[in-house]
Amino acid sequence: MKRLPLAAAAVLAAFTLAAPLFLERGTLNDVWSLAFAVILASAWNILGGFAGQVSLGYSAFLGIGAYTTVLLSLAGVNPFWTLAPGAVVAALFSVLIGLPAFRLRGPYFTIATIGVGEAVRVVASSVSFTGGSSGLRMPAGSFDFTLNYEAMAALAVATVAISAAVTRSAFGHALAAIKQDIDAAEALGVGSTRFKLGAHALSAALVALAGSLYAINFQYIAPSSVFDFRLSLAIVLAPIVGGVGTVAGPVLGAVVFSTLQIKLLSVPALRDSYLFIYGGLLILVMLYEPKGLVGLARRLLARVRRPPVLPPEAARAA
Amino acid sequence: MPPDPILSVRGLTKRFGGLTALHDLSFEVAAGEIFGVIGPNGAGKTTLFSCLVGAQAPTAGEVRFRGERMNGLSTNAVVRRGLARTHQIVRPFREMTVEENVSIGAHFGAGRRRGAEARRRVADVLERTGLARRARSLAGTLSIGDLKRLEIARALAAEPACLCLDEVMGGLNPSEIVSAMSLVRNIRDGGVTVLMIEHHVHAVAGVTDRILVLNFGEKIAEGPPRGVLSDPAVVTAYVGADDEEAAS
Repeated sequence: MKRLPLAAAAVLAAFTLAAPLFLERGTLNDVWSLAFAVILASAWNILGGFAGQVSLGYSAFLGIGAYTTVLLSLAGVNPFWTLAPGAVVAALFSVLIGLPAFRLRGPYFTIATIGVGEAVRVVASSVSFTGGSSGLRMPAGSFDFTLNYEAMAALAVATVAISAAVTRSAFGHALAAIKQDIDAAEALGVGSTRFKLGAHALSAALVALAGSLYAINFQYIAPSSVFDFRLSLAIVLAPIVGGVGTVAGPVLGAVVFSTLQIKLLSVPALRDSYLFIYGGLLILVMLYEPKGLVGLARRLLARVRRPPVLPPEAARAA
Repeated sequence: MPPDPILSVRGLTKRFGGLTALHDLSFEVAAGEIFGVIGPNGAGKTTLFSCLVGAQAPTAGEVRFRGERMNGLSTNAVVRRGLARTHQIVRPFREMTVEENVSIGAHFGAGRRRGAEARRRVADVLERTGLARRARSLAGTLSIGDLKRLEIARALAAEPACLCLDEVMGGLNPSEIVSAMSLVRNIRDGGVTVLMIEHHVHAVAGVTDRILVLNFGEKIAEGPPRGVLSDPAVVTAYVGADDEEAAS
């Protein structure tokens, strides 16, 4: 039963990585956006889904990755070598804000992360080394789309693989325990703060890597593009619609969202309607299937496959 | 006083604003003992457990476990040093199976087991607590009796040297209470010191070596069950004051 999704994932991964051989540039661009969305959603899900700590401040990590890349490239570093430093800075920053923020629980934590995200945007808009609100441009001649595409696709595959590995590890079990009852987890020896910080740092680093590739691809970044609150919101919506806390959910959600966005952006009249549609989808999921598209699929599969299995007591009595 | 205490509490006080939940409480528990804590509702029993495992910070006083000061340590750090608790209101991880619930204790408790070692520990604990038949069930589907067992099983999997049981017999029927009592003895015989809060006075008297009685956050009696339960101060605390006696 576990073999089938694994095989499907492998085929999908191979297809994505080999796409430049047979897809034209326009379609490749769309797949690039899709891979980008998959990384953001899957990485966010490590903290927000597996550990249940819903953060609305993830644009901060995206922006940190993007800005580290542009600033180092402007200082003469090969853009390729700026990825790791961006991830490290984002991970360190995630620990720095996690230490106080993880003392808060549930909605209070979420509200704190909104504050952090906005504070980072305001700071980036007002200090001079980031170029202020007018942003920064990458040095000329530092771009190769196919290379960037391959890096983004590989990162997407790696992010999904990492999140699958997390669910099977002791680390993942600790996160699940923290999500379901943090006090009970503590009472069994789970160092909840340490694990939350670890999950935060891992997902922040992955998001920062995507941010670096984003900056290299678009060659220009500004606080209004990479530190936007709407970006933080979009990062959260995809995993929630797809199925929060599962490996496949964020991938599905990201596919739905980026397809929607690509279609909507191509119709001028619908250009600004995407937030409205996101909101509508979110309400539908909350009302009818809190486990998202994955939950819906599981329910349908269970109905098709076989009649309900009797619980052990009833089976013995029969 | 026991000669070789595994747990010693000195002058423990806990205030919530103007309310004193525990007042200058001192006692010691010997290794290998089954030590009962009883008292009327609101006497401070659960607050005492919370202070022992670092879930709440005492206002004053000191908790020492195996000679080491526990004050200021977080709950997970206390548990990893071998002092674990269960919760009066059961707190299962409902979306995990019974087995997975117990493995959290085996992985992250004092034993910090991994792989095959952890699986052995989990299987052993499930066997001892009578949960082996429900190993693959989701915790959310268990009956209250099994949930109480799961609460104990998880804490046992954490391999404590001293286990604090918070009202594990509450809500159980008489036959379940009998099997819970034998489980408590079995835990102690396995080398774990047991500290238990219980409402059910007869169950406590039947299984404990010594009892501490709390009333309004203060110790009113301590000693072997027989003597303590016939102590006039204890009878008054439980049955009521003079005016009720006069009325009867």
